[in-house]
Order: sequence, then C-alpha cells, then structure tokens
Amino acid sequence: MRATVAAPSTPRTIAIGPSLTRTTIVLGGGAILVLGVLVLAVAIGSVGVGLDDTVGILAHRLLGLPLAHTWAPWMEQVIFDVRLPRVLTAMLVGGGLALAGTVFQALLRNPMADPYIIGTASGASLGAIAGLMAPVLVPGLLIGAGSSWLGLGVVQLLAFGGGLGTVLLVYAVSRANGRVPVVTLLLTGYAVSAVLAAGVAMLMFLSGQRLGAIFGWLMGSLAGARWIDLAFAAPLLGLSATLLVVRWRRLNLLLLGEGAAAHLGLDVEREKLALTVLASLATSTVVAISGTIGFVGLVVPHVLRLAVGPDHRLLLPASVLYGAALLALADLGARLAGGIPVGIVTALIGAPFFIWLLRRSRTLRPVVVP
Amino acid sequence: MSSASAPPSATVGTAYPVTLTDDAGRKVTLSAAPTRIVSLAPSNTEIVCALGACDELVGVTDFDSYPAQVASVTHVVVGAVVDVEKVAAARPQLILAAGNGLTPGPVIDQLTQLGYPVLSLYPHDLNGVYADVSLVASAIDASPAARELVLGMKAREAAVVSAVSGSKSPRTFYEVGVYQGAIYTAGQDSFLASLIILAGGRPVTGDPVTTAIQLEDLISADPEVILLGDGAYDPSVTPATVGARPGWFAMTAVRDGRVEVMQEDPVITRPGPRIIDGLEALAHAIHPELFH
Repeated sequence: MRATVAAPSTPRTIAIGPSLTRTTIVLGGGAILVLGVLVLAVAIGSVGVGLDDTVGILAHRLLGLPLAHTWAPWMEQVIFDVRLPRVLTAMLVGGGLALAGTVFQALLRNPMADPYIIGTASGASLGAIAGLMAPVLVPGLLIGAGSSWLGLGVVQLLAFGGGLGTVLLVYAVSRANGRVPVVTLLLTGYAVSAVLAAGVAMLMFLSGQRLGAIFGWLMGSLAGARWIDLAFAAPLLGLSATLLVVRWRRLNLLLLGEGAAAHLGLDVEREKLALTVLASLATSTVVAISGTIGFVGLVVPHVLRLAVGPDHRLLLPASVLYGAALLALADLGARLAGGIPVGIVTALIGAPFFIWLLRRSRTLRPVVVP
Repeated sequence: MSSASAPPSATVGTAYPVTLTDDAGRKVTLSAAPTRIVSLAPSNTEIVCALGACDELVGVTDFDSYPAQVASVTHVVVGAVVDVEKVAAARPQLILAAGNGLTPGPVIDQLTQLGYPVLSLYPHDLNGVYADVSLVASAIDASPAARELVLGMKAREAAVVSAVSGSKSPRTFYEVGVYQGAIYTAGQDSFLASLIILAGGRPVTGDPVTTAIQLEDLISADPEVILLGDGAYDPSVTPATVGARPGWFAMTAVRDGRVEVMQEDPVITRPGPRIIDGLEALAHAIHPELFH
C-alpha cells in the first residue's frame, strides 16, 4: 500500500478486517504476555522460592523430567499445588470475563454491559450464599456447606446453577412473539436481579458469623484455587470460548443493528439466544470458582476496542489473552499486598488507567455502535 | 463435644497413630507426635502454650499477643487472611484452625487437600474449652499437662460459681459493639451468655443468629448492669457517652450508675485457657459486693 498512494489510478485494496501482521502482533504479543505473566506470577509469592527451583519444579511436575530434587518438598507444594492452580484460575477467570463482556457489549449494544448484566451475578450470589448457609437455612439438611459432588463444593454448584438459571429465566420472561428485544432483556435482567439482590441482602442479614465468608465470596477471590476446580471450569470455558470466538462474523453483523443484520441474512433471534447462553455459560463457570470479580469484564473489552478496533475477529481472541494476563497480574499484586481481594486491585489500578486511555484517545473509535 | 476415639485416658501419653475427632466432626489421624504446629487463632495459640508446647509453634496470626514469646513466631495469618503459602513453608505437622467460619471453610478444605492434619476448634461453652484443651493435648502428646491445666481451670470456675450462688442474678447486658445503630450483644445460648450466667448474671441476649438486639427490646429488658466490651478498644465508649445515648437513661443500670467498661474483653471473648480470667472479671463486675 505504501507507494500506491502516489498513483491514483492504481486500484486500492480495501482492507476488510485486521491485516495479517496486525493480527500476529496483537495475538502473538498477547500469547507471549500470558506466558510471561504465568512464569512471573508462579515465581513470585509471599514465601521465596528461587527461580531455578521454580523452573525445576514445573519441569519436573509438568513435563515429567527426572530432575534431581534440589528443592524442599514444601517448595514443590507451594509452587505446584498452591500457586500454579491459582495463577491458572486467575487466567481462566480473567479470560472468560473479558470474553463474555465483549460479547454482551456487542450483543446488547450497550457500553455499560458487563458479563453480569442480565442476572448472572445476582443469581450466582444467591446460590452461593444459600450454599454457604445451607446448614443454618435448613437444619438437618443432608447437603451441608462442606459436602461435595464430583469434588466440587455445593457452594460452587449452586453458584453455577444460580447464574445460568437466572439468565435463562430472564431470557424466557423477555420473550414475546418469538422475539427478545434487547431493551426488554436489559430491563428484565435488572428487575430480576433486584429481586435476587433482596434475597441476598436478607440472607446476609441472617448470616451472623458467616457474614465474613459471604462478603469474601461477593468480593471475589482466587485464594482457594484448587486443581479440582480447574478440572471443572477449564472444559466448560474452553467449549464456550471456542463457540463464541468462531461467531465473530455474526457479532460484527449485530454491531450494524438487528435490522441490518437480519437483512444480511442473519437469523438474529437464534443468534442472540446462542450468544446469551454461551456467554452466560462462561460467566457462570467463572463465577462458580472465583465469586463475582468486577471490572475486568467491563473494561478489558473497551480498552481492547480502543487499541485494536471493533472487529470481533481480533477482539474476541484478544480479550481472552489480555483478560487472562491482566487478572493474573492483578492477583499477583493482591497476593503481594497481603491477600487483599483481587477486585480491589483491578479497580484501583485499572480504572485510572482506563480514564487516562479514554482522555488520550480523543478520536474515540466507536466503542459500541449504537 | 470433642473427643478422641482412641482412649485418651488423661494421665498416659498418646499412642500414635491416633485418630481424633475435632469440633466440626472431622476425623484427623496423626501418625506421630507433631513438633511443628501452626495456630490459626489466638485462642489456639494460648492452648498450645499453656500445654508447654510454645516452642513447637511455627506459625501464628497477626492478632497473637499472648504469651509474649509468640511474638517471634512467623505470622501465617496476615490481617484476616490465611496465607496458605506461608503455612506450607512452615512445614506444619499439625494445624489448629478455628471453627464457625473464623478460619474460612475453603481454607480448611484447601489445607486438608494439601495433606495437612487440620483440627478445627469451636467451643460453645467452658466445657467446650476444657474439651478442646484435652483434644489438643491428645494430638500433641501433652495429656498430663492438660489434666493439670483443666483441673486448675475447673477449680477456679467452681470458686466463682460458689461465690455468686445465693446472690440474686442481675439482668446483665454485655455490649459487644454498636454499628450503624444496630446493637450487638451476647446471642441467645452463646458462649458469652453462658459465661455471664456462670458469673452470676442473667444475660440480656440478642438474636441467636445475628446477636443483635433492638433498642426497644433492650429498654424493655431493662438491664441492671451494663458491661461495655467495646469500650476496651474504643475510648469514645464510656459510661458517660452510653448514658447520653437517646433512650438509654430509661434503663436501671444507667440510672444506678452500673455501667462499666470491660477492659478484660480480649480474655472474655478468647476461648483459651485465660477464659477463666475473663469469667472472674465478669463476676467481679456483676457482683462487686461479693469480692474485695
């Protein structure tokens, strides 16, 4: 393209979508960033394990290399059973939230949309808190807060079911004459969330000494990350993320407006249902293993749109990579700050950065085409 | 409540391996006497030290203040957060957690999955504290010391109970805290309520779950003695400021000048060996006429 400008008669190529180099830079850079953050976040923690031992432990446990154990057994436990599952959980959660946020913002054509907007958070919260209080709520109930199914706690299962169930309920209620208008979906989500939030507040009031546990869940935490939770979350997230990322073309069409998308041949209602279910599946999975971590799912999509533009072919995979790196980095900060909730770190550092970025890019790319 | 399923006849040592049942009903097996102990609550720390095993503590909390020698032990609970990495780095052979959510359930699960024996202690009354002392002793092979300790505590408890017996039990309100107008006190059937009863008072209790009491219920309960546990930490909570709160002058305790700050709140609310100091302090405050 460089020299062709001088010769107006030469037909110009009109780039549709991101160029190959741009894709390579954004996604390749994202992948390198994710790997770098992975190594950094596993190597650093509240107790010191040398970098050589960290690498040795990972090579030994992940690749099965028969290395001489230059490290103490507790180091192996800290690196492999405490830090690594936590960092990987942070990445899954961050990637899942950023992806779901990107989808919801495009689907609802609303810049304030986040993964929780149509009821996932309130539904999951009510489920999780009911799980935390199960023995109090129903004395003599067999399913106590400590019981589990396939290694998953009742709290996680209820959070997952509550989140996904609420979205399906909201969707069903919003449906009229075979259509689900976006505005109705948003408002129904708001109303149903308000009812569920009242239930959450009621349970919190009755919770007594369990209030601390409930509060911690609502703020979101990656502290209790275990391999078993990853085994539950990774396949569900992998499935929903794959099915979402391949829908980039349809999301781009939806950005033009539902009427235009329909004229271009998209079965709009079917697509809206598929996107809602898939994004909510990702969100509910994430919330089940980490609680409601805010900010990531709202802001990462915006930052990326400012940086790489609104094309979902690039935006969707980029949101997974950069969301993953961001949350793992924020969680490292949270760990080093004495175990404060990670949501505090993401908001405290991320929000001012976002404001700076908004002010810097005066020529705003269309955040979400209305 | 807590009991060892292997017979821990208190005078003989523990025969390992031993399987113990903690206050949460979890069975924990120890293959040998632990010499590296992590305590996740100050009350647990005090029990370990009272059994003469203070030197075996390799991890305590930010809130540990007693006995003084634990000041040099690594803090594995920072703020209110259990740092699992630091727990692992301390290479514990026994972890003593606190029940009722004080040590979060997911943390207990995580530590258990990492392969550490975790005993969760959650006493509901003085007998629960005695049982916990015996339970910890069975775990760390210190049963003779536990027997001596518990006998001493029981003797002091009996002395308090006999001193106040025969006296009229005044209606006693223990203020744990006031937040946004909500008044928190001893919950119905709570540990604190049971201590007040032993100390010769009739506790004015709050809701069994939230431990809150509404002001009008408090006024109609008309306490004769008001003890300010929160005054031990907040200098603005004094008999004068409490008497000046709207509606509080209606209470007999305020009119009779029977409002007192409980500086001993840390031992009254910490279910360790010094709980007996707390019981005695309560008895002195509720029945000043019987002591001195």
